[in-house]
Amino acid sequence: MRTSSGRLSRLIPYVVVLLGLTLVGGLYTAFLAPQSSATEAPDAGAQSMAVKAGRDLYLQGCSTCHGLNLEGGAGGPALQGVGASAVVFQVESGRMPLANAGPQADRKKPQYSVAEVDQLAAYIQANGGGPQLPSLDNAELTDGDLQEGGELFRTNCSSCHNFAGAGGALTYGKYAPRLEPASARVIYSAMQHGPEQMPRFSDGQLSEEEKKAVTYYVRYITRAAQPGGSDLGKFGPVPEGLVIWLVGIGALVIATLWIGNRA
Amino acid sequence: MSTPMDPQGGRTGGAPTPGAQSTGGQTPTNEPIGGQSSFDAAGSVRDRLRSPGPQSSGGDTRGSAINEGDFEQSDSRADLHEGGRDERQLSASRTPEAAEIQEPRTEDIDPAAAKAAERLVSALFVMSFLGVVGFIVTYIFAPFQYGVEDGNQAYTPLLGIFMMMALGGVGAGAVVWAKRLMPDEEAVQERHPFGSDPDERSATGQALKEGLGQTQLPRRSLLRNTVLLGAGSLALLPVPLLFSFGPFQHKERVLRETSWRQGVRLIRQNGTPVNRDDMQLGGIESVFPDVPRGTKAADSAVLLIRMRPEELRSEQAEGWSVDGYIAYSAICTHLGCPVKLYEQQTHHLLCPCHQSTFAADRGCEVLFGPAARPLPQLAISVDDEGYFVAQGDFDQPVGPSYWERNPTSSYGRDV
Repeated sequence: MRTSSGRLSRLIPYVVVLLGLTLVGGLYTAFLAPQSSATEAPDAGAQSMAVKAGRDLYLQGCSTCHGLNLEGGAGGPALQGVGASAVVFQVESGRMPLANAGPQADRKKPQYSVAEVDQLAAYIQANGGGPQLPSLDNAELTDGDLQEGGELFRTNCSSCHNFAGAGGALTYGKYAPRLEPASARVIYSAMQHGPEQMPRFSDGQLSEEEKKAVTYYVRYITRAAQPGGSDLGKFGPVPEGLVIWLVGIGALVIATLWIGNRA
Repeated sequence: MSTPMDPQGGRTGGAPTPGAQSTGGQTPTNEPIGGQSSFDAAGSVRDRLRSPGPQSSGGDTRGSAINEGDFEQSDSRADLHEGGRDERQLSASRTPEAAEIQEPRTEDIDPAAAKAAERLVSALFVMSFLGVVGFIVTYIFAPFQYGVEDGNQAYTPLLGIFMMMALGGVGAGAVVWAKRLMPDEEAVQERHPFGSDPDERSATGQALKEGLGQTQLPRRSLLRNTVLLGAGSLALLPVPLLFSFGPFQHKERVLRETSWRQGVRLIRQNGTPVNRDDMQLGGIESVFPDVPRGTKAADSAVLLIRMRPEELRSEQAEGWSVDGYIAYSAICTHLGCPVKLYEQQTHHLLCPCHQSTFAADRGCEVLFGPAARPLPQLAISVDDEGYFVAQGDFDQPVGPSYWERNPTSSYGRDV
């Protein structure tokens, strides 16, 4: 008994200190909370800086077609309400600025850096709002539920984008692009806002986690090593059959002729 | 024969005794040393093809020198005997080939070349052996788990390479062996006439006639008629089977009906129902009937599309859609491929198999391609909890045309 009570008494100072800290912390939270917005002020400042920088970029590079106030024009649609998500998709993948009019915008070498894309996105987001990307770094997306992502991809995406993400043709010159060059942000934003002809997959259909799983799956399959050698564009039986018949059977025929000549 | 040689030199050097011909010709590889023996073997066969009589001096006339006596002498070769019968008639036309046959190979006259050929064949067989060993060792001991970073990516290719060595070594060795060491001879064997000879034919006819007489059918009409009745009616047996193909026995219900019923919810592949608040404009959803094994029902796949209500210009019947939500069978009316390639701005639905294009905003009318008719529309409504339900089954069979499909009738669905 003596020893146990002695131990107890030795614990008392720690308990007092812990209680004191909790009390101070609680009081700080309760009464000094408004100050926390002051700590966010630098962030907001950076945000407004990004919006300002984005406005400059927009006026230089985009306003000719999309209008000085995002109202759209003869060359391009209005951008109010498209959100940061659409900006990331169109600009980071190089589709915007548009090179020439056609059935659909083609992927090109990006004209803006990722930082500039973020500034443009901040400007568009600040003027009209719209869907926003969750925090999603291209380099960060290194893990996810591959099985779930694969099932969702095959159900929702593979009919147009091909089982291996190799893309495919649509009607009248349009096409579903190859997914291999797309960054994680581009893939996610495409599902989120449905660019051009692509259907939109709202959070009610595919939750944020499910979209991330699909994104990770796409990144995974488009970068996985090919154990069977060349994938022939991953278009499936048509190019494979073509190669078998032209190259394979052709080689056999030539070999047969050669053997026949030697005989 | 690809090596130009002096034919005379090859022949004169290798003329063996008649007694050695048969053994040498049949089992050249049983000889102890390859070089000289293969030369002997090849030489002996050629000598048998040549006339034993007056020695011909030129290559051109060698073929015509083949005569009857030559083949009767070479009693050890039955196939040459048979060929010999027609050889006589063909000898004139065969002359150039016959000359070619007798041109010796390098291996026939040069023991060193023959030895080299033997070494090559042996090397190929050893390669085959190594391939077998490598295959077995790889199969049993090598780690087989495939992995992009940490696994063994070489496992399958190694198995393939070793198997190629094993099979290819034997095959290539056999080819080289046969072409460079075994006796080089060519023989023509004519087919015998296909028809039976006249005597045999008349004898067979006679036997048939006698047989008919022995059955007594010509005399006993009762027997004849009952045989015709019993055996002849067998021909009727397959007739009822034909009805299986026709409209009488057909369970057209299977083709006509799907799993959709009134009040059945539209569920996703993972089993969750679709709420009217789930989708945004321009969204699509692959849905199935909420019945047991509904997501596996191949005929019940449906594509639910949401567009602006004002964009929906027409549908297949009034009141089948809900506020711009419209549902079509996802099975192409051409050949049954899944039609899920939806373009949210043009509202085109494309079948990937043959490019049939449907206008989803105009009752799925066919814009392009081989499809014969629009995709059937599934009438939908919303239940009390806001989830989509079917108003009933499709009003027409889904998928491709079939024989009994009646294009004009609507199959008993009260709308």
